[in-house]
Amino acid sequence: MSSYDSERAAALHRHLHSHLPSDPALRVKTLESLVVERGLVAPETIDAWVEAYSEEIGPKRGAAVVARSWTDPGFRGRLLEDAAEAIKEFGFEGSATGHLKAVANTPSCHNLVVCTLCSCYPFSILGMSPAWYKSTEYRARAVREPRAVLAEFGVILPDAVGIRVWDSTAELRYLVIPERPEGTEGWEEARLAALVTRNAMIGAERRLRVG
Amino acid sequence: MDTLHDLGGREGFGPLPLDGQDQPFHHDWEGRMWGIARTCRVRSITIDWFRHGLERMVPADYLTQSYFEKWCATYFALLIDAGVFTEADVAAGTLATPGTPAAPMDLAEVLAINRASHASFAVEPTAPPRFALGDRVKTRRHIAAAHTRLPAYARDRVGEVIAHHGAHVFPDEGAHGRRVADHLYTIAFAATELWGETANPKDSVTLDLWERYCV
Repeated sequence: MSSYDSERAAALHRHLHSHLPSDPALRVKTLESLVVERGLVAPETIDAWVEAYSEEIGPKRGAAVVARSWTDPGFRGRLLEDAAEAIKEFGFEGSATGHLKAVANTPSCHNLVVCTLCSCYPFSILGMSPAWYKSTEYRARAVREPRAVLAEFGVILPDAVGIRVWDSTAELRYLVIPERPEGTEGWEEARLAALVTRNAMIGAERRLRVG
Repeated sequence: MDTLHDLGGREGFGPLPLDGQDQPFHHDWEGRMWGIARTCRVRSITIDWFRHGLERMVPADYLTQSYFEKWCATYFALLIDAGVFTEADVAAGTLATPGTPAAPMDLAEVLAINRASHASFAVEPTAPPRFALGDRVKTRRHIAAAHTRLPAYARDRVGEVIAHHGAHVFPDEGAHGRRVADHLYTIAFAATELWGETANPKDSVTLDLWERYCV
């Protein structure tokens, strides 16, 4: 049973800080040994999770969802209405997508997603989050100077295009639907999906490159 | 508590670390930490007690350790707190009294668990909502709770309710293991309201905020 005692948690952190090895690989190895011995997890199960999020679950899932939103107006409607339900059509629901919200870019509005308080991310639809998304720099700056942040990704927005920054402070998670690039009329879903990048689905990219 | 984790709007940070490395895990130990976190579920460690555990890290460590290092530190602290193992076990690197080994799971089982973890945090409301879409609401200036999800930059600010999500578990209580229902809204704040007149008047920041965060 947990104590829910904030000061006890802080005291444990301070004590561990001066007793754990400095190498993170050794710290995690010690943690793994203890939870395996306790019977909370088997090492093979950890292998399977690494494989799942290296090979099976990643931004290709989100890209498939975005591509269908471009080709199937009915699906787009369902996605914008309730993304957590709509991604079940692909079987992509899972970790941190129980309250997924899709937000669509338009010619006059660009969406950008951040979690300033930790690093919340829709894992089951986008896979592991990039290092920059979890950085103190991004968490601090995205809400205050989104235009300067976007410029570092090469996205220069005219003043007339508004930016809406979504700070994931609750259990909602956000998926940005980029605009469909021109010159892709008649393309099939799979070909369209190959254009959709992870960064675009976070809002750190705006114009998808064709070919 | 206003600990260092509340980073939104802090100034003085440099460029984003865009080094072009895009693999899911940058080190093997990151993958091990991810797998441990997906599997080691201790019922009393709620999502908000875990978040508060991160917030109570040694401040300098919070700013300098990477994401999965923070998780590792917090798992140690909260698993000791929950009685899963002791500080002496950690020092020894092995348990004084081991348990029964867990059955291994393969890729298919793990993918099924991932899919089933599509969890809802919605709960039955205990009161009708105070706000409706389009209402302009003001956030609280002060928060007394140990753990809160109202960032400092959005306190004592006026925004517009753009969505209502029913009632969700209230994090300030969830961090103490209590399931308390409160209405959750998406509230949009003009960038000029948050940052002053130098902000672009077309820009806005939305936050998902509980009714108790509003006056």
